[in-house]
Amino acid sequence: MKIILSVKFIALILFFAACSSGDPKHAQYLVQGERLYGQHCSNCHQADGKGFGSLYPPLAGSDFLAGRKSEVICLIRNGIDSALVVNGIVYDQPMPGNEKLTDLEIAEIVTYVYGKWGGDKLITEIAEVSRATRACNLN
Amino acid sequence: MVYSTVVLFSAGWLWQCTVNDKPLPIFGERVFDGVDTIYHTVAPFALLDQDSTLISNADVKGKIYVADFFFTSCRTICPKMKVQMKRVYDAVGEMDDVVILSHTIDPDYDDVDRLKKFADRIGIKSVKWHFLTGNKDSIFNLAQTSYYATAMEDAAEPDGYIHSGAFLLVDRQGRLRGKYDGTLPEETDRLIGDIKKLGLLEE
Repeated sequence: MKIILSVKFIALILFFAACSSGDPKHAQYLVQGERLYGQHCSNCHQADGKGFGSLYPPLAGSDFLAGRKSEVICLIRNGIDSALVVNGIVYDQPMPGNEKLTDLEIAEIVTYVYGKWGGDKLITEIAEVSRATRACNLN
Repeated sequence: MVYSTVVLFSAGWLWQCTVNDKPLPIFGERVFDGVDTIYHTVAPFALLDQDSTLISNADVKGKIYVADFFFTSCRTICPKMKVQMKRVYDAVGEMDDVVILSHTIDPDYDDVDRLKKFADRIGIKSVKWHFLTGNKDSIFNLAQTSYYATAMEDAAEPDGYIHSGAFLLVDRQGRLRGKYDGTLPEETDRLIGDIKKLGLLEE
């Protein structure tokens, strides 16, 4: 089991490494991001990113991702109590914040989410997360 | 010769596995009163659903139902349970005598309006899937003593409650016939199979 898992892990790394022009750091962010997504996000947003009814919004095919990375970073860190609109549908179920996630972990999640559903094949750096989270409290 | 015997034997074995008509177990204490065996049944309850309709044992009499315990602001196992319960809802859509009762364990926050909105957002019909609220102690008591499901307040938990992610299957006589982990798709598949079995084999 362990052997199979580690083979899968290496295969994943190789796969992502191939996709991300051989940057091992990017590959690692994608693998860790997927793991963290499974722990912190997929209960509501689902492993396939499709959300659930009009209760929890989708990430896959969502119009909330492109050009709104700073907002997404703030949402992950602080959650939201007010309504937001995704693909024309109003979602108002409160989302809890994840204060315990480090900037690195958020960078990994955002790299994974944007890589998979946001059409963004670039890595999200820790510095970008730190900058964005400092700014969310100012708004 | 040996080969065909093996094939026949495995075919018989496979047949036994696919046509499994073994009755479901009956949970809880039982008493023999000299004539009949009296089984544990769900105690009397009366709770409001998302349409402000009072739902009691009388409304589920003669029906098969699935019960669970959750609350709308729960961020841990409840979303998973609701996704799986929606699968149950979709699977039993054609079975008129099957309903679902989801009890909130945070009735102070989850009033009728909030449950109504929650149910509408999942996109379900209230005649089939009732979201129930009422007196907190009654709901906790119902969970613990009627359904053998854990539900209590616990300040150490991230959301303030400790509760099980179980789905409970209740037959037409109000007897508990199955308990499933409502966070797991494969356990939910087993529940759906058991509902159909109860529906076909027992009156």
